[in-house]
Amino acid sequence: MPDQSLPADLYPAIEPYQSGMFPVGDGHRIYYELCGNPKGKPVVFLHGGPGSGSQPEHRRFFDPKRYRILLFDQRGCGRSTPIASIENNTTQHLIRDIEALREKLGVKRWVVFGGSWGSTLGLAYAMAHPEACTALVLRGIWLCRKADLQWWLYGVRSIFTEFWDEFANYLPAAGRGDILENYFKLLIHPDPAVHMPAAANWKTYESRIASLIPKPGAEKSQSPRTLAMSRIEAHYMRNAVFLPENALIEAVPRFRHVPGVIVHGRYDVICPAENAVALSRAWPEAQLTIVPDAGHSAMEPGIRSALVAATDQFADLD
Amino acid sequence: MQDSPPIRDFYPAIEPHETGRLPVGDGHELYYEVSGNPKGKPVLFLHGGPGGGTQPTQRRLFDPARYRIVLFDQRGAGQSTPSGSLVNSTTQHLVQDIETLRRHLRIKRWVVLGGSWGSTLALAYAGAHPEALVALVVRGIWLARKRDIDWWMYGLKRIYPDYWEEFAGHLHPWERDDIVEGYGRRLLDSDPKIHMPAAMSWRRFDQRASSLLPRADDPAPPGPRTLAVARIEYHYVRHLAFLGEGDLLRGVSRFRHVPGVIVHGRYDMIAPIDGAFALARAWPEAQFTLVEGESHAFSDPGIRRALLDATDRFADLA
Repeated sequence: MPDQSLPADLYPAIEPYQSGMFPVGDGHRIYYELCGNPKGKPVVFLHGGPGSGSQPEHRRFFDPKRYRILLFDQRGCGRSTPIASIENNTTQHLIRDIEALREKLGVKRWVVFGGSWGSTLGLAYAMAHPEACTALVLRGIWLCRKADLQWWLYGVRSIFTEFWDEFANYLPAAGRGDILENYFKLLIHPDPAVHMPAAANWKTYESRIASLIPKPGAEKSQSPRTLAMSRIEAHYMRNAVFLPENALIEAVPRFRHVPGVIVHGRYDVICPAENAVALSRAWPEAQLTIVPDAGHSAMEPGIRSALVAATDQFADLD
Repeated sequence: MQDSPPIRDFYPAIEPHETGRLPVGDGHELYYEVSGNPKGKPVLFLHGGPGGGTQPTQRRLFDPARYRIVLFDQRGAGQSTPSGSLVNSTTQHLVQDIETLRRHLRIKRWVVLGGSWGSTLALAYAGAHPEALVALVVRGIWLARKRDIDWWMYGLKRIYPDYWEEFAGHLHPWERDDIVEGYGRRLLDSDPKIHMPAAMSWRRFDQRASSLLPRADDPAPPGPRTLAVARIEYHYVRHLAFLGEGDLLRGVSRFRHVPGVIVHGRYDMIAPIDGAFALARAWPEAQFTLVEGESHAFSDPGIRRALLDATDRFADLA
């Protein structure tokens, strides 16, 4: 028996029993992997960014005895190809990809689990395909309204002043009035000497503000994955994630009957808690947990504990 | 992770060896107290709010063997009378009061320590009377700029949407575009059924936004002290602390030669850290200690340690 007095924590590290590349059209090929119990309850993990790619630790939010765990890398990122491509890469494409994977795997309905951008995509998917959702587990809610973009691009300066200054000051003074467009220009520049340092600065800014205590190290790395994340994020942001303002909140009636859990860190500086409360007000049936001593990251102790408790709770749901 | 130096507790609890009431004109009479070593180095503690009044714990920021510790309640605050009065209460009056108290106690120069509003007042005092300072220690820097007030009234909704809804929800929907005035009308109403609930709601919000984790106690019980602090805070907020935008930072040139320490918690939500960065940039000679993972409260362990280290260091300064 697990010790009920300890908070839930990640399951042990596991390896996939199946993985592959799945062509989804438009030249995009999606990396996917299956772990856990092949006869278990299906769950799909939606990673953040957009453009971050999935990580082996993401398998560990689910009981491998009870879940059939699908992780995949969204278009253009992680191990998907072509890396860092923003052609035919929109929220609507990603929703179609999730459906294509579901059909390919012969899954009728599944638990949908997503954090940060993964929560945005999870909500957009639930809006489009409520019938395919057994339950929704969403963390670090990001509604991507104008105010949320303004916050990410400018508001963060109130709390992470020095990191924001470094992020903004990478641009010439004249470019700082429109950080998004001016970074985007650098990120899509064909010359790696231009796009790589810009991508490294973008990603460093985001990583530093993602946890309650800023993490040193792993900073300013220049790699294809860094480029993919930064370029794809900027691409989605400048298109307001291809959704009308407030679309996700207004769509709640389409999926409000689906059991839902919302987990959010009080000191989430990337996606402030206002996002979670706004969603919760529109969707009071969902269980809202604001973790008092956590930032944005799924790996904050209180957050991962609440997430594992949620997937445990849904593991036996029909 | 940063290295974590050992926890430092406050100095032991002590009682004042002298207390008094000082008439400062305009009908105001100030409560003051002196504790510690009567022959020690003089230090002045400036409380927050404005209107917060002093607390016995604040004596414990100073070594009682080496310091002659002066605490006083600013006009209308704590045990000063008339309680909650806004008549002839401005930053300039408070600066004059500090000088009156200094002369009354026959002190030539003193160390000045202030947190939150106490930092605002300390900076205003230092700009006006740099010759009276041995050293300056400021914590939870609040510059009372228009942006700082907008952040308090509206920006905090991003981080504390639930608390903010209660705060703004005390007003009619049509008043919420000008929260300060909406509260002002109620706080200044002569009817306790109107002013007391408003004072409790105002105070509860600023207290909740001042600590990292939710508090177990009620930070705003009904009573004259809650009313006094809410009224006085409103009065100073409404008048932008009777300061011109940027006055405090411009004043740094008058006291930059004074040894200084700036202490600020990363998750200081009521006084966001960009104010501390602005001060540190204007005053690079001062030592700036940024405490990760802590808030506005001077009792947070890292902030407490930084303050105690600073007062110890200045205790033997000529």
